[in-house]
Amino acid sequence: MDIAGSFALLLAFVVAIYAFLAGIEGIRTRRSLLTKSARNAGMAVFFLVTFAVGALEYFFFTDNFSLPYVAEHSNRALPGFYKFAALWAGQEGSLLWWSWLLSVFAFLALFTNRKKHPELMPYVGVVIAGVQIFFLTLNNFVANAFNILGSPDANGVMHVATLADGHGLTPLLQYPEMVIHPPMLYLGYTGFTIPFAFALAALLGRYPGEKWIHITRRWTMVAWCFQTVGILLGMHWAYAMLGWGGYWEWDPVENASLLPWITGTAFLHSVMMQEKRGMMKVWNVWLVFTTFMLCILGTLLTRSGAVNSVHAFAQSSIGTWFVGFLAIILVVCFLAYWQNRDYLRSDNQLDSLVSRESSFLFNNLVLLAACFAVLWGTLFPILSEWVVGSKISVGAPFFNKVNVPIAMFLLFLTGVGPLLAWRKTSADALKRNFAWPSAGGLFAGIVAFVFGYRDFYPLVCLILSVFVVLTIFLEFYRGARVVAAREGTNLLSAVGALTMRNTRRYGGYVIHLGIVMIFIGIAGSAFNKDVQAELSVGQSMTIGPYTILCQNFDATANDNYQSARATLEIFRGGKSQMMLYPERRFFPASGETETMVALRSTPLQDLYVVYSGRSPESGNPVIHAFLNPLVKWIWFGGIVVVLGTGLAMLPNRRTALVLASVPEKSWDGTVAAGAPMQGVAAVARRADAHD
Amino acid sequence: MTRRVSLAIFAILAAALFLAYSAPAQQTAAQSARAKKLGNQVKCMCGGCNDAAGSCYHSGGTFSGPCPMALDMLKKVDAHVANNDSDSATLNAFVQEYGPLVLIEPPKSGFNLTAWIMPIAVPLIAFFAVWEVVRRWRHRAALTPTAGPTAPAVPHDLLERVQRETHKDDA
Repeated sequence: MDIAGSFALLLAFVVAIYAFLAGIEGIRTRRSLLTKSARNAGMAVFFLVTFAVGALEYFFFTDNFSLPYVAEHSNRALPGFYKFAALWAGQEGSLLWWSWLLSVFAFLALFTNRKKHPELMPYVGVVIAGVQIFFLTLNNFVANAFNILGSPDANGVMHVATLADGHGLTPLLQYPEMVIHPPMLYLGYTGFTIPFAFALAALLGRYPGEKWIHITRRWTMVAWCFQTVGILLGMHWAYAMLGWGGYWEWDPVENASLLPWITGTAFLHSVMMQEKRGMMKVWNVWLVFTTFMLCILGTLLTRSGAVNSVHAFAQSSIGTWFVGFLAIILVVCFLAYWQNRDYLRSDNQLDSLVSRESSFLFNNLVLLAACFAVLWGTLFPILSEWVVGSKISVGAPFFNKVNVPIAMFLLFLTGVGPLLAWRKTSADALKRNFAWPSAGGLFAGIVAFVFGYRDFYPLVCLILSVFVVLTIFLEFYRGARVVAAREGTNLLSAVGALTMRNTRRYGGYVIHLGIVMIFIGIAGSAFNKDVQAELSVGQSMTIGPYTILCQNFDATANDNYQSARATLEIFRGGKSQMMLYPERRFFPASGETETMVALRSTPLQDLYVVYSGRSPESGNPVIHAFLNPLVKWIWFGGIVVVLGTGLAMLPNRRTALVLASVPEKSWDGTVAAGAPMQGVAAVARRADAHD
Repeated sequence: MTRRVSLAIFAILAAALFLAYSAPAQQTAAQSARAKKLGNQVKCMCGGCNDAAGSCYHSGGTFSGPCPMALDMLKKVDAHVANNDSDSATLNAFVQEYGPLVLIEPPKSGFNLTAWIMPIAVPLIAFFAVWEVVRRWRHRAALTPTAGPTAPAVPHDLLERVQRETHKDDA
């Protein structure tokens, strides 16, 4: 089986090279059979890599420890659930996983468009094959998961060795979300390859029209949605698993996942400028290129160990390969742009600074500022080492100081942008659109200030959040009121009808609502509290309105880990609320210990309790309790963002054009009954579908 | 009168005693807050985590809390605070002992100052660049002739009807 898996991987590499070369030749000679053959080869890569992934999973599930990769990341006692996830626990497997997800996306892109865009798709196939060749090179020749334990004898015959048991999966990954989080994040990373392929293909092939930008936007939304889910699941994993009371530490690997998300977000906004007004074509193409390059950079940071990270589970000298690949991509992108820059000339100019276009422009600028700040902080330790010769730390306080003001400005633009009209916004419209949201935001700020919430950034965040939410509700209300009056329905059904008529616009608003919820949740962290105390049975500690009474400590064990558990009774206002069971698990296979946090989560605050273990000084058990306000809003906000993205991807429900019999005056003023006419009102009603 | 004077003296003495005992306690609280702040400005140098010494939780360790290295560093912070050393003197002492890597933020001097300047300077430069691009666009738009008599004329009655019906819808 190991030979079959390894062979499938090698064959996938050869087939990808064929798809690449045959694709180029097909484009050059315009031979459609060759182009088709290249496309089929591109799709065949999916089946071959799937076979290889299946083979590796087979080794995990059959505890075949003759493969070092399986021995390092699994053991017999590991539950099947985690044996499946062990595939991406290390370098070789995660790169294979990258290749597989890429082959899935490639297959979908090539298959769904097999009868469409005959001028564009051959280029797309070539670009995808190029990316696949790089990853399959790594899979086959640099980090092969199918390497076996053993050594050849004097006659060259290989003697395979097998370990009795493996070292087990790192405990940090033994958490249900870790089975979903990395695939989601990788779906995001690999998914951005497809918009990159379409953008580069359109540029190389000088594909006429704006069709390619619609396709690119759709694929970007898919990848962006996966990336969002991946980031949020990662945050939740860090929150529930690491036991430090937070969810985002500005760790280099966390930052690496955020960078393409930011540029992807920028693209999803600026792409509207190109679709609506034929503007910002160069900008958009470079945003797509940059997003893909940041995905590769993210993988480089995760895999190479170039920067210190608690998340870099597999570190090696593989970084050189990624740096080389990044350089090739940059050169190819720049040459493609330079050769075809006239193809990207704008159709229109900006008419006014107070317009939707300029708000998109500044939104993009702020997003890129945030991206730069995160990238700069992440890479600065390496830069400092090069220049000064000594490494320095760039920790969370730096990122917070730099990024919080940028984030506040971005939140402000989230509210302002949708209120501005395309081309130019009149002073009257500005007054009409901004009066209520601004007043609401300021009112909320004053109320919060009076009640003692006076920290600067949380207060600004509250004012802006209320402002944005009101702008969104007003947009829904105004549109729904018109629809309700026109169709005689109630306001609620009108909201549904309005949303379904322009899913992209109103889906976008729902996403904004989710983002505001996430901002509110993050702002809550300014009011976090924590207490750490030695707590024996019968003793209690207090945090905020809660009293934590220690009832018991017990220990259990299974094949995989030994658990030490605290039983805590939670009181509020003298009344017992619930029991919490924070745990510590020791994994003998790896020799590591991990915490299992116990949570009482409400929309207002989380009571987050960690059993820290026994104090190294006194030997008494220590409980660390945190009171984290509004954290739940982050997870709910994430769900709203995902729902909004799904909504924005749905096709619009078209307004039916009814050819009604309208009495029309004839030339002599008499009424000609029954003359069918397309009502002008119907035309006008369709005109309300705008972005 | 004598009794009142005695009561007043007693009250003053009691207040003085209360202040005498509470003053050091306040001082300790202030010192503790300062020590906590400083503890969060230095990185735990155990090499096994990337946490600040003041919030070291040492994931994967036998105890989820300050590791021995972080505890040692925090004791040093306490000693500096008790000695009334300034914040910069305390941090400098840590840099002397562990090197610049010990600071959780880049120092605001020398080359490392660029860590702070660039995230402000680059967006500002980009902002002015965009401003210039927008200005040029608007200038070009102003020079572009607007639709003249060659533009297809919309019949006046149709235009009126569209305006009437759309206005009715908005009402």
